[in-house]
Amino acid sequence: MLRPGIVYRIALTSFREFLRTPEAIFWTYGFPLLMAVVLGLAFRESQPQPIQVGVERTAGGAAWVAALRANPRLAVREVAPEEAERMLSRGRVAALLRGDPPVVRLDPTRPDAELARMHIERSLAPAPDSAPRGLEVTEQTAPGSRYIDFLIPGLIGLNLLGAGMWGIGYNLVDMRSKRLLRRLVVTPMGRGEFLVALLCSRLVLVFPDAVLLTLFGHFVFGVPVVGSPLTMLALILAGAVAFSGLGLLIASRPQTTEGVSGWMNLILLPMWLLGGSFFDNGSFPAWLQPLIRALPLTQCNDAMRDVMLGGAAPWAIAGPLLYLLGFGAACLMLAVRIFRWS
Amino acid sequence: MNDALAIELRGLRKEFRRGALVTRAVDGLDLDVRRGEVFGLLGPNGAGKTTTVEICEGLQTPTAGEVLVLGRRYSVRAEALELRRRIGVSLQETRFFEKSTVREILELFRSFYPAGRSVAEAIAIVALEEKADTRSVHLSGGQLQRLAVATALVSTPELLFLDEPTTGLDPQSRRQLWEVVREFRAGGGTVLLTTHYMEEAEQLCDRVAIIDHGRRIALGTPRDLVASIEGAHVVEVVAAGLDRLGAARLAGLPAVTKVSGGDGAFALTVSLPHVAMPALLDLLQRERVELTGLKTRHTSLEDVFVNLTGRHLRDEGTT
Repeated sequence: MLRPGIVYRIALTSFREFLRTPEAIFWTYGFPLLMAVVLGLAFRESQPQPIQVGVERTAGGAAWVAALRANPRLAVREVAPEEAERMLSRGRVAALLRGDPPVVRLDPTRPDAELARMHIERSLAPAPDSAPRGLEVTEQTAPGSRYIDFLIPGLIGLNLLGAGMWGIGYNLVDMRSKRLLRRLVVTPMGRGEFLVALLCSRLVLVFPDAVLLTLFGHFVFGVPVVGSPLTMLALILAGAVAFSGLGLLIASRPQTTEGVSGWMNLILLPMWLLGGSFFDNGSFPAWLQPLIRALPLTQCNDAMRDVMLGGAAPWAIAGPLLYLLGFGAACLMLAVRIFRWS
Repeated sequence: MNDALAIELRGLRKEFRRGALVTRAVDGLDLDVRRGEVFGLLGPNGAGKTTTVEICEGLQTPTAGEVLVLGRRYSVRAEALELRRRIGVSLQETRFFEKSTVREILELFRSFYPAGRSVAEAIAIVALEEKADTRSVHLSGGQLQRLAVATALVSTPELLFLDEPTTGLDPQSRRQLWEVVREFRAGGGTVLLTTHYMEEAEQLCDRVAIIDHGRRIALGTPRDLVASIEGAHVVEVVAAGLDRLGAARLAGLPAVTKVSGGDGAFALTVSLPHVAMPALLDLLQRERVELTGLKTRHTSLEDVFVNLTGRHLRDEGTT
């Protein structure tokens, strides 16, 4: 039997507790609104997004390219022959055309592959009302260019991010809220020693995770590992440094685990959406691209795919590697300055 | 600087700002803790005890005033490092790494110090042998508190800080902790502890300072403080008809030095109980007041506090 008086009192108390926690109000109401504004602006095109189609650049140029361009539902990108395969396998384009007459290559796992095929066939029909010309279509199913091949390196990046957020960020605030940090700083323990130890323990923990994912992908789904495992390890290390630094930074002030959870959402949500772990982030609007490129997860994922699937040499990924290390170091330095021990 | 002192506080002040609101937690406190004594800071919640102790531990920096601990200052970096090696700290309500065992936690704390006790010895001091391999999340409140003291004793501190070490403990755990403190003192150690248990201060402390609103309102041995109240006994009398008589009639009885209370329950401070008691009972009989409770006891530090502030230590209301 529910007693209304009691239910009312408890509900009232719960409301009050919520309304008196400003950060909870922000994360509950303000943050989703903010996300709605950001995403709404990002995808406000009233027209459906055109389908990205790649055309291999040939010496003479092909007569049928103009026909493709005439179709407003297709966005035609001319690509160099050496880059064409990569565009398709990274999901930058839904279809790739090469040769004359053109041969179409599709990734059948992409949801817009069939749509791309339909529009290409219609555009290349001899006359507007005639039946579509029969095109030679091949489906791309070789290991190295499927969705699973795209996904595994992305998941490695995502796990590095998670380890930094939960392992460092959440744990540190938990220790602060339990007064454990206070207890530790009145001992001769060095504060630097503590943070270094925490970072090291987390770094050690992310390696097995990445190795496990790679082996699982390789032996179960046949995901190729073309690049050198050592280069991959170096990249994993750099990613872990970047995300651990970020974790430390968000953990440097909050007194409660609720407070740090908000910060974690603020970081995790854009990274999940824009970091390119689950789907290609190259098709987001151009004005969003600078932000997307600045996300450490984007840098980590792209470089990981280049190494794992494309066999990139260490110097080829020196840029992202340095970016990740620099990002981590910057976070770390800022965090140490503003870190609250009690 | 005085070598015989473990802690010297001069004009200590600590203010907390929250917007325009300034709270003064410690308001001009002078205090000397001698080496080798157990010194108690006594006062109600919010009196400034914890703030004072945390300043002495180097956890908080004072707004104004001078702080010397073992002749050193926390404001000098090298001296702060030295102090952290020489003090032992048990904070209020610390929780430790939940999935680590008592032994593992003590091994961690032991690793911070260049010298100290063995972990097994620290466990034995606080009688946690049976729980040595239990994860800290499964410890009871009393066991957790003993673990906190063990982390403070796993080095060999000269000065031990205990912030409300027995709050919320059952009587048996409390006595166990008192024993630990006595043994530490017997070994030459100095202790600064805070408590709002009068009995604890009387049993354990060589000297106490009573703190209220961030100020020291009394200082001395428990015995001297109690003796400072005129009359060494308190008669507590409960009777519905007492209010009709009024406090003045009770105060007029022979050997009664002070009357406090109301609402049918009064406490008479009495110098000679064998004189005051017959007179009290006589009065009640004459006025046909029916007695529902009568108790005599020695005065305690609690009475000292009530005497000085008009309030009880453990509740906010006035008596």
